Amino acid sequence: METTTETAVEREVEIAAKPETVWQFLVDPEKVARWFGSRAWLDPRPGGQYRVDVIAGHIANGEFIELDPPRRLVHTFGWEPEGGQENPVPPGSSTIEIELEPSGDGTLLRFRHYGLPNAESARGHAHGWDHYLQRLVVAGRGDDPGEDRGPEGM
Amino acid sequence: MEAALKALAGPRRRQILTLVRDGELSAGEIAAHFDVTRPAVSQHLTVLKEAGLVDERRNGTRRLYRARPEGLAELKDFLEEFWEERLDALKREAEREEKTRGNDD
Repeated sequence: METTTETAVEREVEIAAKPETVWQFLVDPEKVARWFGSRAWLDPRPGGQYRVDVIAGHIANGEFIELDPPRRLVHTFGWEPEGGQENPVPPGSSTIEIELEPSGDGTLLRFRHYGLPNAESARGHAHGWDHYLQRLVVAGRGDDPGEDRGPEGM
Repeated sequence: MEAALKALAGPRRRQILTLVRDGELSAGEIAAHFDVTRPAVSQHLTVLKEAGLVDERRNGTRRLYRARPEGLAELKDFLEEFWEERLDALKREAEREEKTRGNDD
């Protein structure tokens, strides 16, 4: 009902690289693949495709919404059907916002992933509860054990 | 946490969890809601229990099941961790790139 019913994952990271460099790691398919998955298909313009093979078979899918290089990026985020089974959370069902701010010689990156209702708010309605569970599963899918634990292992 | 995600990936298990979110039910009562055998329901309950998503309580000869909200809070933590790892990877790669560029100049 209200936005406070949503849970967001928020993080800040200091990066010793210029915003222009970091920006490339958000929109260049080859560079996105280096930190987020094994392969990426990106069309970085509003309405353009955002698709990343995060871990074999787990494919993130969304759409670019806002691009203000090298300052601000917004795109939707969800997961594709797996093994012929329709995923309850369709591609594009949550939102990721990334802001880059110059900080000394580097960049302060602010990350926000929202669109995940929390348990408390969902408790009131069975529908919301199931919705919440499904979203969590889907958002959490990116992590399969043993693979892609970071670039060092690739 | 992997166990919780796998447990929740099954639509039937999500339905069971929804059923026991507000109160305790026995395996038989749960089975009555679905077109499945009781052993199948017991199997699902075992998976949910091992994933920390439901609690089991004995009441005489009956076993009662109820959703465990902490299990879901842990999932939220897991998501935080997932993104933390990814963003650390982004940091490493961007910094490596910056250094390489510096050397090229």
